[in-house]
Amino acid sequence: MKALYKIAMLAGLSMAFTACFNKKEPNYQYFPNMQHSVAYETYAESDAFPNGKEGQLPAKGSVPRGFTPYEYENSTAGYELAKANLKSPLDTASVDMARGEQLFTVYCAICHGDKGDGKGNLVKREKFLGVPNYKDRQITEGSVFHVITYGLNSMGSHANQLTQEERWQVTAYVMKLRSEL
Amino acid sequence: MSSHYEAPIRKPLIIGDKNFHDVTVDVARPVEGRANRQWWIAFSIALAAFLWGVACVAYTVATGIGAWGLNKTIGWAWDITNFVWWVGIGHAGTLISAVLLLFRQKWRMAINRSAEAMTIFSVVQAGLFPVFHMGRPWLAFWVLPIPNQFGSLWVNFNSPLLWDVFAISTYLSVSLVFWWTGLLPDFAMLRDRALTPFTKRVYSILSFGWSGRAKDWQRFEEVSLVLAGLATPLVLSVHTIVSFDFATSVIPGWHTTILPPYFVAGAIFSGFAMVNTLLIIMRKVSNLEAYITIQHIELMNIIIMITGSIVGIAYITELFVAWYSGVEYEQYAFLNRATGPYWWSYWLMMTCNVISPQVMWFKKIRTSIMASFIISLVVNIGMWFERFVIIVTSLHRDYLPSSWTMFQPTFVDAGFYIGTIGFFFVLFLLYSRTFPVIAQAEVKSIMKSSSENYKRKRELEGDHGHGHDNHSTEHNHH
Repeated sequence: MKALYKIAMLAGLSMAFTACFNKKEPNYQYFPNMQHSVAYETYAESDAFPNGKEGQLPAKGSVPRGFTPYEYENSTAGYELAKANLKSPLDTASVDMARGEQLFTVYCAICHGDKGDGKGNLVKREKFLGVPNYKDRQITEGSVFHVITYGLNSMGSHANQLTQEERWQVTAYVMKLRSEL
Repeated sequence: MSSHYEAPIRKPLIIGDKNFHDVTVDVARPVEGRANRQWWIAFSIALAAFLWGVACVAYTVATGIGAWGLNKTIGWAWDITNFVWWVGIGHAGTLISAVLLLFRQKWRMAINRSAEAMTIFSVVQAGLFPVFHMGRPWLAFWVLPIPNQFGSLWVNFNSPLLWDVFAISTYLSVSLVFWWTGLLPDFAMLRDRALTPFTKRVYSILSFGWSGRAKDWQRFEEVSLVLAGLATPLVLSVHTIVSFDFATSVIPGWHTTILPPYFVAGAIFSGFAMVNTLLIIMRKVSNLEAYITIQHIELMNIIIMITGSIVGIAYITELFVAWYSGVEYEQYAFLNRATGPYWWSYWLMMTCNVISPQVMWFKKIRTSIMASFIISLVVNIGMWFERFVIIVTSLHRDYLPSSWTMFQPTFVDAGFYIGTIGFFFVLFLLYSRTFPVIAQAEVKSIMKSSSENYKRKRELEGDHGHGHDNHSTEHNHH
């Protein structure tokens, strides 16, 4: 009887201690010496900045090393100019179709479809409509790059997700898909 | 009755005409009586020092090790100096109770209890330094190889600092068990004499129901002998491991193979000096002069002299090897000790440790209580400086002259040290009023061989004369 009482006491105590952990909140910490960053972390919040964000915009007109600003402006005129004049800087050695396909599958195929026929998953599930088939449009290398960079109509800019070089790889892959349609 | 041969050359270890009951009464008196004013004064001073030490440690932990005088070159100074000093002091206790037991030294019986208490209390002090010299003492449990959630991240068993953890904790626990086992018959004696129900209950718990049957005594003796056999290599290995903290390094002045035996000799040296200091006071204030006799003090002085000479040889060996090595860093390390900015600590150490014990060659000095007391104190000062010199002078000037610097302790360094002295005396003063400070059961076992009255009787009546009823059959042994 006495042993039973002790076991019950132990069980009760261990329950009492473990009950302190709330799954909806971060757990207790033992001396969190270097748990919290002293340095500013990219996506953290901070009162040091007026908008409270640690990711501040760079000064307008500044050009980081290794980056070439895109010269065509985001307008119909700019689109036409790019369509007529802009050529891919990739030569046959640096075009990587496998990578272009990967990137296309990640960023484009959900609407445009794996074949570029405008039958992506979202279209099939009728989340929205009006995604054209590449075959039905007069597109060039320059216009594809321009549209990925700025977006057009319902399509948004993908300059955030893809670097310039990646956009050119995707462009090359799009042109290949179009030729196969 | 079998005959008993005791060389007449041996002087009595129990003086005054004591019988078994007198031993009991003399040992129990400090426990059963009330503390006098001097005890309370001493205790208050010790307690104040202890509390001051607690404050200094709290300040260190709260603000950081930068509160101490350490710098980037000298990462160890008073902390490890005091650690090694306290560990060293602790060694005499085990030496007295274990090594002298193995060598059948009867004179240890009057002093082993207090020497072991001193071991326990000084190892406790020593144990504080490894924890509180840590930058993050709250993670001290990481030194233990416990299975954990860091993919079971373990300790590296190659570090002498980890060996220190095992050495010190084993040493403390074995010493504690050894001490407590020896205390059982004496606690039982206090239990059986207890005057109040409260003390009766306390000593009943402490004595673990000791009833002193033949079988108990037989096992008690065996356990004591086994523990003594275990404690002896422990004494040697613990301070060896402590010395490895330095000897295994690459610092000129530290990297020496002589350190293990030399540290052990130094530990015995300083430990015996501390026992001597404490017992000279204790025999007086607790009226135990009949048991802790001038002979005991003389024998301790002889051990101090021997180990002091070993330490002296070690110093000379170090100097010789430095010269003989042809390593200029090594040579400079010793030149720096003797003539550098800390020359005074080196020469203080040399004077206290090499010269002062040599006066014990004179019988007049080693049998003088006052001289023994002073020299014991001097030895402990010298041994503190030995550790300070080894640690600081080797660190403050080593390979790169661009990192040469000096060490300046702060009041917090000193406060921690004073605090441990206070804590030690708090424990020792409490011990001296609540524990049987002499192993009466053991002392009673040498009553018939080594007490003054029985020796006199033997002188008069021959070797058979240790009872009133059975003498006069033979008279020609003498």
